[in-house]
Amino acid sequence: MDDIEGKVLSNRAIAPGYCLLRIRLSRSMGAARPGQFVMMKIPGEDIFLRRPFSIYDYQKGVLTIMYKVVGKGTERLSKTPKGASILTLGPLGRWFTVNRSASPVVVAGGIGFAGVYSLIKTLRGNSSIFFGCSAINEISLLKDAMRFHPLVATLDGSYGFKGNVVQLFKKHLKGLKDKNVEIFTCGPDNMVKSLKQLIEPYKIPCQVLLEERMACGMGLCFGCVKKTTDVQEPYKRVCKEGPVFDLWEIFL
Amino acid sequence: MGNISIKLLGKRLRNPVLNASGTLGYGIEIEPLWGIETLGAYVTKGLSIKPHHGNPTPRVWEERHGMINSIGLQNVGVDRFFNVYFPFFKKKKAPIIVNFFGFTEDEYIACAEKIKPDRLIAALEMNLSCPNIKAGGISFGKEPRMVFDIVKKVKAVTKIPLFAKLTPEVRNIVDIARAACDAGADGLTLINTMPAAGFDAKKKNIPLKGGLSGPVLKPIALRAVHECSKAVRVPIIGVGGIMDAMDAVSFFMAGAKAIQIGTATFVDPYAIPKIIKGVADYLDANGYKKIDDIIGTAHER
Repeated sequence: MDDIEGKVLSNRAIAPGYCLLRIRLSRSMGAARPGQFVMMKIPGEDIFLRRPFSIYDYQKGVLTIMYKVVGKGTERLSKTPKGASILTLGPLGRWFTVNRSASPVVVAGGIGFAGVYSLIKTLRGNSSIFFGCSAINEISLLKDAMRFHPLVATLDGSYGFKGNVVQLFKKHLKGLKDKNVEIFTCGPDNMVKSLKQLIEPYKIPCQVLLEERMACGMGLCFGCVKKTTDVQEPYKRVCKEGPVFDLWEIFL
Repeated sequence: MGNISIKLLGKRLRNPVLNASGTLGYGIEIEPLWGIETLGAYVTKGLSIKPHHGNPTPRVWEERHGMINSIGLQNVGVDRFFNVYFPFFKKKKAPIIVNFFGFTEDEYIACAEKIKPDRLIAALEMNLSCPNIKAGGISFGKEPRMVFDIVKKVKAVTKIPLFAKLTPEVRNIVDIARAACDAGADGLTLINTMPAAGFDAKKKNIPLKGGLSGPVLKPIALRAVHECSKAVRVPIIGVGGIMDAMDAVSFFMAGAKAIQIGTATFVDPYAIPKIIKGVADYLDANGYKKIDDIIGTAHER
C-alpha cells in the first residue's frame, strides 16, 4: 500500500451518469484484493479531501475505477482528461473472504456492481450473480460480467426481470436457502436493508461492502464509522475494519 | 541538514513537528507509510477515563478550504490505551503527548491521575473544548475562571508537564491563555477547531455541526499564537491549517515552539514527513543553524 501517482489512460461515460476511469500507475501498489478501495486525490484545487473508490480492476499496472457521478467530487473527476496526473492511495481496507465450502452468490445494485466485480472475476463464473438497476440504459455497467451470465432486474422492466434485485433474488431463494451458500453484496442502503430482511429468517452468511463519507481512508480520523453489534466499541471504521463487514454484525 | 531538534519542557524531541490529536488514529495506522518515530512526539487521540462511543455519521464534511468533523471523541479509554497501544511506542522508544478530556472536573482529574509519569510521556495535553455538563454544557475553555479552576485541579494531581489546548471560540484568547498559565499550565496548544456547521444542498439540511479545520483556520490560529506568545512565557504549540513547511515556518516565527499537523495528513498522508524535511531545508537555505533562531522573530517590528 502506498500513495502512487498515475496517469489517466481513459475516462469515459459508459451509461448515463456512470463512468469508467483507467489509470496507469507509475509503480505497483501491491496485491489488490476483492472489495478493497483507493483514496483518490481528484485533480484541481476545488476538491479538498480525497474520495474513496472501489478497485474495479487492477492488472499490469493499470487501475480501473467504475464510478457514478453523485456530487462535486465525482463531477470534477468525470471532467478529468486523458493524460492528467492522479494520486491514488491504496489498496485499502478489509476484503471479501471466500469460504471454499459455500457456493457464492453475488447481489449488487447500481454502482454497487463496481464493488463486487473484482470478486466475481476472482470466482471465475463460479458464482450466481444478481444485478439490479433502473433501466436498460444502465446494462452496459455489466459488460465485463456478461460472460458469467448474471440475472438482471430493471425497475422499469426494460431488461430482464421487472422489479428490484431483491425481488428477483427472492424468486431464487427457495432453491438457495437450504444449500450451503454465502452472499456477497454491495448496493444502495435500501437494497441492503431489504436483502437483510429477506434472508433474516435463514441466517444465510453474508458479507456486505459498505460506503461512508471518508476523510483519511486509512483509519486515522474515525470519520467513516458504521454501528456494529460490538458492545464495547460499537462504531467501526468503514475504511479500516471495513469496507467489507459481516451483514449480521451491522446496524443498517 | 540543519538541527531541528527542540527541548520542550526539559525533554529533547528530534523535531518540533507533532500530529494534532485525533488525526493520526492510535499511531499504528500510519505504519505502512512511515514510522511514528518520525514525529517529534505522537499526540494521542483524546482519551477519557471511560471509553466513548462517539457520534453517529455523518462525522466528516468537506468545505472549500477545510473540513468539519464531529467524531464525538470516540476513544477506547485511558486504561485500554495504555494496555493495548502504549507498548507499541515503548518498543519503538517513541515519545508521546497524552491528550485527554472530560465532561466534568472529576473526569479530567481522574484521567490525569491515571497517567503515570514515564520516560516516554513528554507531556499531557488537556482538551478544554469539552462541554462542562455540570455548568449547563458551556465549554470548559470559554471562561478564564473555569479554565483557571480546572487547570489548577489537574496540575495538583500530576507531575507530568501539562499543556492546555484552547478553543478559539472565546472573547479574548489572551485572557484564557493567562488564566491557564496562572493556574500552572506548563504550556499551551493553540488552537482547537472552530465550531461550525455544514450544509447539504441536496437534502437542504444541516447534516452536522462540528469543528472546522484545515487551511481556513490557519490565519485564526496564527493570530492566537502570535498574541499569546507575546503575553505568556510558557512554550506554545501552534496548530491549525498547517499544510506545508512554509505554513509551519510562519507559526515558528509567530512564536510557536512546536507545531501540530492535522487535516493536512488526510489530504496527503506524507504531509508530516514532508513538512519535517521542508522546515530543515528552510533553515539550511536561509542560513539558520537551529529552529530556535526563527522562533518568535515576527514579534520584532
